[in-house]
Amino acid sequence: MDIVTYEILRNGLYATAREMKIAMMRTAGSPIVHSGGDASAALFDAEMQLVAQGNDIPTMLGSAVISTRASVEAVGRDKLRPGDVIISNDVYLGGGNHQPDIQFTRPVFVDNEIVAFVMTRGHWTDIGGQAPGSYTCMTWDVFAEGVRIPPVLLYREDKPVEDVMTLIVQNTRDPAVRLLDIQAQYAGCYVGDRRVVEMVRKYGKEALRETMARALDHSERLMREAIRAIPDGIYEAEDALEPVAGPAGWPTEPIPLKVKITKQGDRIDFDYAGTGAQTRGGINCPFSVTCNSTWFTVKAITDVTIPINQGCYRPVGIAAPEGSVVNCRFPAPVVAGNTETSPRIIDLLLKALAPAVPKRVVGQSNCGAFSGIFGGDDPDEERVRRTGRKFVGMIDPHAGGMGARADKDGVNGIRVYVGNAGSTAVEIIEQTSPLLVEEWSLVPDTGGAGEFRGGLTSRRVYRVGYEEATFTACGERGIHPPLGQFGGGAGSTFLCDIQHSDGSEQRVPAKAGHSIVHRGDRVRLQPAGSGGYGDPRRRPRQKLLDDLRDGYITAAALTRDYFLSEAEAAALLAEAGQPERAHG
Amino acid sequence: MNRIGIDVGGTFTDVVLIEDDGRAHSVKVPTTPRDRVIGAVAGFRRVLEVSGIAAETVGFVGHGTTMATNMVVEGTGAKTALVTTRGFRDILELRRIARHDRADLYDLLFDNPKPLVARRHRYEVPERLDHRGGVELPLDMQALAEVAEAIAASDVEAVAVCFLHAFINPAHEQTAAHFLAERLPGRFITASHAVNPELGEYERTSTTIMNAMLGPICARYIRNLGGELQRAGFHGELMFMQSNGGLAHAEMVAARPVMLLESGPAGGVSAALRLSDPEAAGVILGDMGGTTFDVSLIREGRPELRHSSLLHSYAVRAPSIDIDSIGAGGGSIAWIDAGGGVRIGPQSAGADPGPACYGRGGTRPTVTDCNLVLGYIDPDTFLDGGFRLDVAAAEAAIRTHLAEPLGMPVLRAARTVRAVANALMAQAMRLMTVERGYDPREFSYLCFGGAGPLHALDLARELEIRRVIVPPLPGLFSALGMVLADRKTDGQAAVERELSSMDVAWLEQRFAALEGEVLASFRAGGIAPEQITLRRGLDCRYAGQPDSIAIDLPPEGFSGIGHAFAAAHQRLWNFTKPDQSIIVNNLRIEGQSRTGWRGELRVGTPKPRPEPWKTRDVALGEAPQTLPVWRRRDLPAGFRIAGPAVVEEQSSCIILGPGESAEVDAALNLVIGL
Repeated sequence: MDIVTYEILRNGLYATAREMKIAMMRTAGSPIVHSGGDASAALFDAEMQLVAQGNDIPTMLGSAVISTRASVEAVGRDKLRPGDVIISNDVYLGGGNHQPDIQFTRPVFVDNEIVAFVMTRGHWTDIGGQAPGSYTCMTWDVFAEGVRIPPVLLYREDKPVEDVMTLIVQNTRDPAVRLLDIQAQYAGCYVGDRRVVEMVRKYGKEALRETMARALDHSERLMREAIRAIPDGIYEAEDALEPVAGPAGWPTEPIPLKVKITKQGDRIDFDYAGTGAQTRGGINCPFSVTCNSTWFTVKAITDVTIPINQGCYRPVGIAAPEGSVVNCRFPAPVVAGNTETSPRIIDLLLKALAPAVPKRVVGQSNCGAFSGIFGGDDPDEERVRRTGRKFVGMIDPHAGGMGARADKDGVNGIRVYVGNAGSTAVEIIEQTSPLLVEEWSLVPDTGGAGEFRGGLTSRRVYRVGYEEATFTACGERGIHPPLGQFGGGAGSTFLCDIQHSDGSEQRVPAKAGHSIVHRGDRVRLQPAGSGGYGDPRRRPRQKLLDDLRDGYITAAALTRDYFLSEAEAAALLAEAGQPERAHG
Repeated sequence: MNRIGIDVGGTFTDVVLIEDDGRAHSVKVPTTPRDRVIGAVAGFRRVLEVSGIAAETVGFVGHGTTMATNMVVEGTGAKTALVTTRGFRDILELRRIARHDRADLYDLLFDNPKPLVARRHRYEVPERLDHRGGVELPLDMQALAEVAEAIAASDVEAVAVCFLHAFINPAHEQTAAHFLAERLPGRFITASHAVNPELGEYERTSTTIMNAMLGPICARYIRNLGGELQRAGFHGELMFMQSNGGLAHAEMVAARPVMLLESGPAGGVSAALRLSDPEAAGVILGDMGGTTFDVSLIREGRPELRHSSLLHSYAVRAPSIDIDSIGAGGGSIAWIDAGGGVRIGPQSAGADPGPACYGRGGTRPTVTDCNLVLGYIDPDTFLDGGFRLDVAAAEAAIRTHLAEPLGMPVLRAARTVRAVANALMAQAMRLMTVERGYDPREFSYLCFGGAGPLHALDLARELEIRRVIVPPLPGLFSALGMVLADRKTDGQAAVERELSSMDVAWLEQRFAALEGEVLASFRAGGIAPEQITLRRGLDCRYAGQPDSIAIDLPPEGFSGIGHAFAAAHQRLWNFTKPDQSIIVNNLRIEGQSRTGWRGELRVGTPKPRPEPWKTRDVALGEAPQTLPVWRRRDLPAGFRIAGPAVVEEQSSCIILGPGESAEVDAALNLVIGL
C-alpha cells in the first residue's frame, strides 16, 4: 500500500472518531454528555485493538482497550451480525472502568466479514443503585452501584432489542433521559460504521487492514523511541489512599499505594506490588482503570504528539496484585476508583518519575473528578410540567487545582488528568433544577507555594430548593493534601459542608454516603487545590505582586508560605495597594 | 458611481475597484500590522493610480478587516473591567472547566488561555435575579458607586456589565450600565443583555467582554480609517463587513464591534452568494490561503450561519458565517515524523520567509513548493510574472526533507504531499457538510484564495462533487465581496418558553417588537422600510436538551413551528421526540437590504477567439505531460475549453484532466463539470 492511501485512511479513522463523538454529544439526554462532553468514541481493528480515538475522555478510552475485547468475547464474535450493537457497563463481566460509563460496541461488516469495531461510551447520569446519581462511595459491593449490564445485544441488525432496553432503562431513575442516551450512543456507532464501510468501498479491505496494522506499529515505534530517552533505572514511590468514611467497622487506616518502575531501554514496566488490599466502599480500581492511569502517565511524560492508539501501550508492562485496590476482585465496589483513585495513581507515578523526567512532572493535583450530586422531587410545578420530570437528578462536576509545572504555574479551576467533563452553566442549573447557586469562585491560597504556584481550586455554594433531596459528594484528598515537587508547597485539602436551615452544621467527608438536605440548606463544595513546583523563595517579586493584586494569594501567605520577612511583606503589600502604573 | 472593496488580511491587503460599468481593477499591497489603516489607505491610493480613477468619483468603500480577530489572538484589546453578580467574578476564568479546546488531553504542560480580563479588574456587586427574572436581591447602588470609583481611578478603558439571568430581565444591567456611563464618561460601557441576550453566563460574559475590549480600539480604527480616506479624497459611504456576511455602518459596528470578528472571511462568502447560481441547492466554499484552508457552506442561496464559536479558545456568541478552518494552506510545511508518516502543518512558512520557492530564505518544503515542481504553478507567470519562483530551491527543499528520507523521487514525494493535503482538505469539507446533516455529493464546490483553484478538482473528485466553480478574481475574492455584499442587521431576543404555552398574538407581538428595532437601525443608516427584507427565525430545543437548533419561522407561521423543528432535528440527529415538549429559547430577525452592487462584472480583456498562449509540462500522472496553457483573462463568456489543458490566472491555475471541460458562464465564473 502506498503512503498516500495510508495517510488518507489513517486521517479518516481519527476524523471518524471525531464525527462519532459529535453525533453522540448532540443527541444525548444526560446533560453531562450533551454539554459536558463526558463521552468518548474510538475505532478498533478486527482483532479489537484500539487504532484511533477522539480527543475525549482519557479514562474511557484507555479502559476501552480492555472492555471492547471483553464485550466481543462475552457475546461471541461468531454470533455477531451486521447492525448488532453490544451494550455493557460492568467492570467484572465487561471490562469497564466503572458502572456509570456505558459502552456500546458495534462490529463493522463488509461482505459478511468483520473489518473493524467501533465503540461509544457515555456517562449516564443515573443507573439506579443506592442513591440518585449513582455516585456514592459508601457501597458494600458492585450491586449497590446500579444496574449491572453484562455485554448483551441491545440492537440486533439495527433493530432495538426492546425487552433488554426496557429492563435497563427501568432500572434507572430517569428512563426517558436514558432512552435519549441510548439513541445518542447508537447514532455515534452507526455513523462510525457507515464511515468505515465507505472507506473500505473506496480503498478495499486490505488497505484498511494494513493501515490499521501500520498505524499501531507506527505509534509503537514512536513510543519506544520516546521511552528510550528516559534514563534507565528503577524508580519507586509510595503514597496512601484515603478510606471511605463508612459505618462502624469499616477500615479507617489509609490504604498504601506503591509502585516500582523499571525503565530499561525502550521498555518501561510498572509493578504495583505492596499496594493495599481492596477495601470497603467504591474506591477500588479494576485492572482496566489501573492500566489506563499508567498509560496516561506514560503518554504525558513522553511525547504527547504521538498519534494515540494501542500501539503506544505495547512497550508498557503493568503488574498489579490481584485483590488489591488497584486490581480488585468481584464484587468490590468501584464507582470512584475510576475518578478519584485513578488520579491518585497518576500522582504516585509522577512522584516516582520526578527524578527521571523532572521537566515533565507536575505538582500533585486535586484528584477528584469531584462531583456533587443532588436528587429529589422538583417542587416547582411549572417546571415539572415543562420538562416532564418530577424527579430531578443534578450531577455537577467540579473544578479543582492542577499542580504547577517546571516552567509555569499550575492551572486554576480545571479538570485534571483522566477526567474531562465540563461544568454545567449556573443559569442552566437554576432553570432545570430546584437549586440556586450563590457563589462559584476561586479560593485564594489553595494553590501550593513555589517558584511556580499550584493552581487554585474553586468553591460552589448551593442553596437548596428541593423540599427534600439526597446530596452526595465524591472527592479525594480530604486528608492528604496535594504535595509540591522539588520544594514546592502543598495545596489545600477537600472541603465540603452543609449549613442546615435550622442552624446546625454538618461536615461532609470526601468519601462518604449521601446526606439529606432540605429547602433553605446551604451546601458548600470545594475540591482540593494543588501543589507548587520549586522553592517558594525563588518566586519572583513581580509574580507575588500580581498574585496579591489578583487575589490568588492573601497577605498572610507572604510570610507563611513564601518565607518573606515581615519588612519585605509589608513593602510588597504597600506596593500592591497602590494603583497600577498604566501600561506602555 | 465607482466602488471599492478593501480586505485587510494577515499578510496582504487586497483592494478591488469596480467601475460603474462593471470594469474591475485590483491591487495587492502588504498589510501593515502596526497600524492596519496605513496599508488599507495605501491600497486605496494604489488602486486609484492603476485605474486612473479620481478618488472623488468613488461613492462607496466596503471594508473587511481581521483587526478584531488579531486583537483577540494577540491580546491587544483595550484594558477592560468586568462588573458582575456577587460570587461570580471567576466565571470568566473557570470557563467550563473542561479541556476540550486543548490540542492534546495528555499534555500536562499546556498553556491555559489567559483570562480576557485580569482578576483584579473583575468587580462584583450585590444583586441577584432568579431563573425567571424575579428579583432575589436588589442591585446595591452603593456598592456600584464604589466600583465606579475604583474604575475611575484606574487606566481601564472599557467596562462590560454581565449579571446572572440578565437575558430574561435586563433591568439591573440597564441600571448599572446607565449609572456607570454617567460616572465614567469617555469609557466604553457595554452590557450583556444588549450584546448577547442568551442563556449561559460564561459564553455571554465572554462575548460581552470581547465587545468591550474591541470597543475603544474599533472606534479609533473606524475614526482613523474614515479620516485617512477623506484625506485621500474619498467622500462617499464607508461600510464595514460583519461576521454575518452583511455590511453595516460605522456607528453600528462601533457599538457592537464583536460583529467584526469574522469580518475578513465573510467577504468571500458574500461574493460567492452573489456569483454562484442561486438555483443551486448548495455550494461548499473552500478558501485556501497561505496558512489555512477555510470551509463554509451556502444552502438555498443563504450562507450557513452559526451563533456560537470558539475564537482562539475564547467563547463568542454572535451570528457569524459558519467557517471551519484547518492548518493546510499553500505555506503549510510538509514534514516526516519520527515514525515515517507524512504530515502537513500546522507550522507554516507564512509570507515571510514563505515557501522555499519564494527564495527568501525558506528551506522547508511547503504545499506550494510541491505544486510548483509538479507543474501546477508556472514559475514564470506567478502574479503575472511579477514574482519569479525558484524551482530549484523548491526541489532542493523537497529532496532534503521528504524525498530522501522517504526513499522516493522528488516528483513522487511532491505528489504524496499534494495527496495528503487534499485528503485533509476533503475531510474538512466532508465534516462541514455531514456534521450539519448534508450530503456533500449534492453540493457544488466554489474555490477561492490564491491556492484554492490548484486543488479544487481533486477535492471535488474525492467527494464525488460534480460541479466546480472558479469565480473571477479568486485571489482577491473577499475584497470583491465587500463591494457585492448587501447590508444586514440582526436582532435577537431570549424567550425561554414552552412552545405549547405561547399563542400567536404573543409571538407576533414579540417578533414585531424585534423587527421594530432592526428597522430602526436600518432607518438610521438611511434605508427605507420597503427596501428591507426581514426574516423571522427561532432557536428551539426539546426540554432537557441544553443546545438548540436555529430554524426559520415556517411559511405557515406559528402552527408549523413544531413540525419545522422536528424536521430539523431529524435531519441533524436522525430522530425526534414527539412526546417531549419543545422550548423556544430565542427569537431572531435577519434584516437585509439589497444595497450591494448588482451590475455585470467585467474582468480581463476577453478575445472573441482566444488561443492557448503557450504549452507547459504538468505531472498529471506518473510522467509529465505537455499541456496547452490558456490565459483566463482572454476567455469570453460562453467559451468552452476541453481538457487536458491549463487555465492560468494571476496567482493560480486550474489543470483540467482528459475528458474534463470548463466553460465561462455569464458571470465570468469558470465552471467545470466532472
